[in-house]
Amino acid sequence: MLIVTCPVCGAEGDETDFHAAGQAHVRRPATTDPSNITDEEQRDYLFIRHNPKGLHFERWRCDRGCGKWFHAARDTVTMEFKAFYKITDLPPPELMAQAKGSWAEYFASRNQPEIKA
Amino acid sequence: MSELAYESPLAGAAAADGLAVSLREIPDRGMIDLRGLTSDDAFKAAAKGVLGVGLPTAPRTSVSWGDIKVLWLSVDQWLILCPRTKVHALIADLRGALSGIHSLAVDVSDMRAVIRMEGDGAREILMKGTSLDLLSGDYTAGTCRRMRFAEIAALLHVVEDDIFDVYVFRSYAHYTWDFLLATAREPAAIRLFGKQSVSL
Repeated sequence: MLIVTCPVCGAEGDETDFHAAGQAHVRRPATTDPSNITDEEQRDYLFIRHNPKGLHFERWRCDRGCGKWFHAARDTVTMEFKAFYKITDLPPPELMAQAKGSWAEYFASRNQPEIKA
Repeated sequence: MSELAYESPLAGAAAADGLAVSLREIPDRGMIDLRGLTSDDAFKAAAKGVLGVGLPTAPRTSVSWGDIKVLWLSVDQWLILCPRTKVHALIADLRGALSGIHSLAVDVSDMRAVIRMEGDGAREILMKGTSLDLLSGDYTAGTCRRMRFAEIAALLHVVEDDIFDVYVFRSYAHYTWDFLLATAREPAAIRLFGKQSVSL
């Protein structure tokens, strides 16, 4: 059982009190360039997800607490949570530096902060 | 045309007999859902002006003033409890004070059923349905938190050390009642963490 801590309200509980909602930091291509989206870009946005062995970044919701969304960094091998951070934030810099493969490419390609809601 | 008549969520439910704790429905509770931003000082001041007490901003806390209680539900959401007869007046006051401020006040008195559980051992019985460690000392009087209880969404309010209010959505009222009738039976009482009396 995973023990999760909500970074918004501080509630700690096992994973049944929370809701895992897949990969974090998925960028919607139409947000920046709505008139010039290829089918491949839209396909990648909708369906293609990272599946790393090791460090992974996910979206979670404090389902049975404050009801807010947040991000979590988790190791898919050890199931250890490395960090919990806010939904509008990027991961802590040291974790972005540790990211490998497709995540490393992704963070390298990001030169601007997450769009604030 | 049929007359509108109020019926409590647990009307006609089985009687709570032979239980280790006392169990009853609180049918006459008025509830108001209030949403707004704590970063907005005007919102906080307006709410305090109407309620007489500042909104609790620390997670999982509640405050009370007279016959009004305010439970923290989220960083931007509170549940105001008051007598059912006062709801309309209170909501009118809130809307008046909050006009022009980004906020929401809605009468949700019929949204949830309230079950009161009272007595020694109530914490252990509640723990049969939730992953929360109610014996940990975090759940003192005044604490409220949403939880997963018997696989459904519920809100727990610790009224006093041995008095608990469990709020569940109205459609789950009978389910929750039956779950509590089964788990709170006198022979099913448990003692946790060294307090068991085991006879072999």
